[in-house]
Amino acid sequence: MKGALPDLSFEPTRAFWEAAAREELAVPRCASCGRWVWYPRERCPDCEADEMPWTPLSGRGTLFSWASVERALFKPFAERAPYVTGLVAVEEDPRVRIVTTVVDCDPGALRVDMPVEVVFRELSFPGEDGVVTAPFFRPVPHPATGEALR
Amino acid sequence: MVASQASWGRPGRLDDVSGRVAIAGVGESQHSQASGRDPVDIAVEAVEAALDDAGLAPADVDGLMWSGGLPGQLDEAAFRRHFAARGGDPDRALWTSAQGGGMVWAGTAPVRAARALASGRARVIVNVFSTAWATQREAGEGSPGDAHSSERFKANLELPFGWFPQPVYFATIARRHMHEYGTTPEQLGAIAVSCRRHANRHPGAVMHGKPLDLDAYLARPMLVEPLRVEDCCLISDGGAAYVMTTPEHARDLRKPPVQVAGVGEGHSDSGVFWSQQGDFTATPQVFSAPQAFEMAGIAPTDVDLLTLYDPFTIVALMQIEDMGFCAKGEGGAFVEGSRLHHDGGGLPYNTHGGLLSHAYVLGIAHVVEVVRQLRGEAHAQVPDAKIGVYGGYTGHMASTLVLRRADA
Ligand SMILES: [Zn+2]
Repeated sequence: MKGALPDLSFEPTRAFWEAAAREELAVPRCASCGRWVWYPRERCPDCEADEMPWTPLSGRGTLFSWASVERALFKPFAERAPYVTGLVAVEEDPRVRIVTTVVDCDPGALRVDMPVEVVFRELSFPGEDGVVTAPFFRPVPHPATGEALR
Repeated sequence: MVASQASWGRPGRLDDVSGRVAIAGVGESQHSQASGRDPVDIAVEAVEAALDDAGLAPADVDGLMWSGGLPGQLDEAAFRRHFAARGGDPDRALWTSAQGGGMVWAGTAPVRAARALASGRARVIVNVFSTAWATQREAGEGSPGDAHSSERFKANLELPFGWFPQPVYFATIARRHMHEYGTTPEQLGAIAVSCRRHANRHPGAVMHGKPLDLDAYLARPMLVEPLRVEDCCLISDGGAAYVMTTPEHARDLRKPPVQVAGVGEGHSDSGVFWSQQGDFTATPQVFSAPQAFEMAGIAPTDVDLLTLYDPFTIVALMQIEDMGFCAKGEGGAFVEGSRLHHDGGGLPYNTHGGLLSHAYVLGIAHVVEVVRQLRGEAHAQVPDAKIGVYGGYTGHMASTLVLRRADA
């Protein structure tokens, strides 16, 4: 079974992890028509242009959907279960869904389409060499009460 | 959802094969938990059973289809090796295609077979698929997740966050479906319970003798919430095969022939990246089923029984909607209670037990079951079944195979 850390030498996603190391969430954006293009690909699906510089996002979005993993089926996560993994639709274009782990949450209080925000944490796995900074998401706390916004 | 059909996928380009191919024989190996068997040996058992069913001998076979994407299949070399060892001619002409086997190809194999039959390059074509994943899992030698974890975008953008393997994908899809359409655990459970009920009438099913009712389903713990183990397919050892020939030749063979009436194929533009699929809670059956039904000249209401590639209950529910058996979002109500039972008065569904309760042979046993139903040979027989449909699914693709009793 392979490990869970990203391969930082894989060119198409290298800039995602380099941005995360700077605590930025970035995805490619078409220089010609402005479309956010996710996952990375060679040409813009709208206009076929091939220039798509990695561009920072606000880090805000909504929780599109998630799964609560009660018992890890993927060995590197054995000690992490139970955990919540899912998809965040970013506010710039909800067609862009970032796969993430939802942190700092009560799984029972999560709601589809609730507001979430990025938070950067170190990520490592038992038995794997290396550590990366990764973009996780958490429910947006209410400015007054600190409770999650619904 | 704002995504229109046109924005996220498309139908495949297929020849009109209606009435050009018959299925003359079907066969299965034993299905089991880890058996220690080699998948090729399992496939041979299935092929011999299918030929015997048709009243044919291995020497009659001049066409072979298998699944080129998966290791350990009964491919041309393995076929020649085996049947030469049994006294066959090792050098005889054999039309072959690696675009057969299970999954979506269990549904689309007749399209390629039709060309070979029409050109005279083959007269008797066997399509076969087998797996020994239960044995391999015990030996730590691979699993159904490997194709995903070795995909480099998934490895770099999904695995670091624990969004893997398949039960995680489909739990995420199920939750979104529940949010958009109000689908309930009881409705997903009705699918699992129907499959188990049918498996309990099928002596060859892996879950035969292990009843499951809705209360028992609901009492089971979550595996990946909102999915329970009972929402997920088995991992088992086994194989199945079917024999294709011309409708004319089929009339002279042992069993009542079943004809291919229509085939469809659908593709998702997001490929294997399900996280980015335009309509997250749909399947490419949206593109496949209308093509097959049009080729067959039927409407969904003409279908007497349905088998669906069912790795998870939610995949069956979405396909039922996407094939037009009900409106999108109404699948939950459509499957409730006994409506999918073979004798429930609704749409008889996976009457052998499916991947959930019969065996994990990736859809080819679903086609075998449709043929048996149309012949009146099934264990959970639908009275006077004339038209049966198989829906195949791999995530980025779907297929639809409409079979019709030749006298219907
Ligand atoms: Zn563009």
